[in-house]
Amino acid sequence: MLNKKQFWFAIIAILPTFAIFGWVRIFPIIETLRLSLHQWNLLSKNKPFIGLENFRELFGDDQFFEAIVNTAAIAFGAMAITIPLSMVLAGVIYHRTRSRFAGFYETAVFIPHVVSLVPAAMAWKWVFDAKLGPLNRLIMAFGGDAQPWLFNPVLAVICIILLVSWQTLGYGVLIYLVGFRNLPKSVYEAAKLDGANGIQSFFFMSVPLLKPITLYVSVVTLISGFNVYAQAFILASDTQGSPGRLVRVLVLDMLENSFQNFRVGYAAAEAVILLLIVLLLTAVQFGLLRQGRRK
Amino acid sequence: MSKINFTKRLSAVVCVASSLIMAGSIAAKAENIVIWGGFPELQGFYERVAESMKATHPDLNVIVEPIGLRDHEKRVALALSSGLDETTVFELIGSTANRYIVNDLLPSAPGNISAFVNNGANFDPFFQEVAAVDGKVYGVPLFRGQGALFYNTDMLAAAGLDGPPKTMAEYSEYAKKLTKRDAAGNPVVSGWSLRLSGGGGGIAEKFWINLHQFGGSLLEKSGNGYKASYANEAGLAALRQYVDAVSGDKTVTVEMPADAAAFQREQTAMFIRESWVIGDTAKKAPNLNYKTALLPRGSIALPVNLYVSGGSEKAQKAAWDFAIEANKPEHLIWMLDNVGWLPNRNGVDYSTVTKAKPQFSAFVDIPEDYVFFTLPSIEPINEILTRFAAKLTDAYANSALVGNDAAMMKVLQESAEETDDILKRAGILGK
Repeated sequence: MLNKKQFWFAIIAILPTFAIFGWVRIFPIIETLRLSLHQWNLLSKNKPFIGLENFRELFGDDQFFEAIVNTAAIAFGAMAITIPLSMVLAGVIYHRTRSRFAGFYETAVFIPHVVSLVPAAMAWKWVFDAKLGPLNRLIMAFGGDAQPWLFNPVLAVICIILLVSWQTLGYGVLIYLVGFRNLPKSVYEAAKLDGANGIQSFFFMSVPLLKPITLYVSVVTLISGFNVYAQAFILASDTQGSPGRLVRVLVLDMLENSFQNFRVGYAAAEAVILLLIVLLLTAVQFGLLRQGRRK
Repeated sequence: MSKINFTKRLSAVVCVASSLIMAGSIAAKAENIVIWGGFPELQGFYERVAESMKATHPDLNVIVEPIGLRDHEKRVALALSSGLDETTVFELIGSTANRYIVNDLLPSAPGNISAFVNNGANFDPFFQEVAAVDGKVYGVPLFRGQGALFYNTDMLAAAGLDGPPKTMAEYSEYAKKLTKRDAAGNPVVSGWSLRLSGGGGGIAEKFWINLHQFGGSLLEKSGNGYKASYANEAGLAALRQYVDAVSGDKTVTVEMPADAAAFQREQTAMFIRESWVIGDTAKKAPNLNYKTALLPRGSIALPVNLYVSGGSEKAQKAAWDFAIEANKPEHLIWMLDNVGWLPNRNGVDYSTVTKAKPQFSAFVDIPEDYVFFTLPSIEPINEILTRFAAKLTDAYANSALVGNDAAMMKVLQESAEETDDILKRAGILGK
């Protein structure tokens, strides 16, 4: 228990950190909430208060709904691929490669996460190219038809899901590896004695025990997925005559409304909706974890 | 001994400190101006202008930073709204600059600059009007974007076509004859490359050029405002032509290479674009046999001006001097010859360039009845174009619209309602 002097010293010591945190994290959120209730074209000194008018308009905007549907598809799609795949990969690395090669496999899986996003997306754009891309060549080599990966609205979203999953997989594997290393070995020994094989141990022991890790990875992947922008922008980048379909996602819609359409209040309303969606999903995920623990 | 050493050390420190202060003050005398452009191909032009200013402005340091147009527009929006420390010369399309001027974010030009711009010997009234608001000059005209048809003469000859298309119906016929297909009937070389995908309002702008040939316009002035004017026969004809090309006749597809790059690689026989393609093709495909032709009715003309903001009064004066220097005949001729953008200044003999590169003829030899249009200087123009572009992208890829005039008209009507809603929100919907 701190005495008064120590208490105040502790407060003063962390105050600068809180001040910086408040300035770069809390203040922008409050300001965004405030701006969403105003009309502002970025340039004018006038910011008239319009109440919930921006939100009313948002809920009648086709482009906003298209952005939400695309963003949700990308976020959940990437999560659906990343979580099981990273868990399995982490399990394989942990259980099968307890040698000097374990570090190599960890590094190899983690490289996509640290590679710069822009050149990686440019490379994937070439992979998905309808005429020159190796993916279509591979499909045609097996007798299939070349697909317009970056032009079809559904296929373009799938391409972004694959790109986002490729990048987040390494991070998920790393976190799951930490989880595997902290699991109690006695549980597995007991299961082995009861006749459980590797796959049974994985599904009936590892998966439930790794639930907190799964919650963390799912929250991080989902938040990251809902903030997707660069991948959508680069795969169909806004260059003259660029052959690609610009997949409308929330962040892109916000940037377009702010800096091309000069409707900052409207874009702020979109940001508020995005914040509420992410908070709701995070609350649901934590709720599911608590339910699992009670059981 | 120690006293002498101390004295020596003190003298050395004083010398070093004095040198640093002097160096600092010398450096402080140099003025910096930054050139922000939205057309990276003009980097060499601005550097050339900066070089030529060294004689009259020896202390002037010019930093040239052109980037892609959409990103340039975003950085200008952020920079002007948050304030600039360094004096910056902005390259802006006239309709885009208007929003900054009405919000007092761009200063008016000084007297000598206004006199230069308002001199009829230097610029036509069209360019003077775009550079001014309510009669006050804010920018210096530099160049314009103006569209014309580019066509591959070898491909036309091989298809038995004598000369370029002269009507929009001929454009479609030519496209069918010029398209090359593989064994399965899929187009591998497009007959007429169209802007069908990607982000931004460029799709809507290119559609407007085609719409103009049918006698239509995206927006028309109505009273004190504007209204959407493309949900009509002209709009239908323009949209029908696109849909037929993509999904009906299949003379072009969404995933085919497009635009200047495709033309230079002979992956398309013709396309409509601005004059910068001439300079670009001279570098990338010097052996390409091609010509240009006037469009059937007229073309878009997008004047680009230079504006100045930020920094000290002295640096701003140097920046305005830069804008005047850029308009010197030798630099404008160089720009036309090496980059291809059309200078706006009158009284300059461009014949050495236009004779050596006859492709410029469709841009400079303009008949009396050629009708130009430009983007209106209204606040929501970007939003209107961007939202319309999103609707067009979906329509082009929708094969169900082929032969279905009612469905195409519905697309245009829904989009026109959206355009009118945007105009109404901005308070400029005409009656």
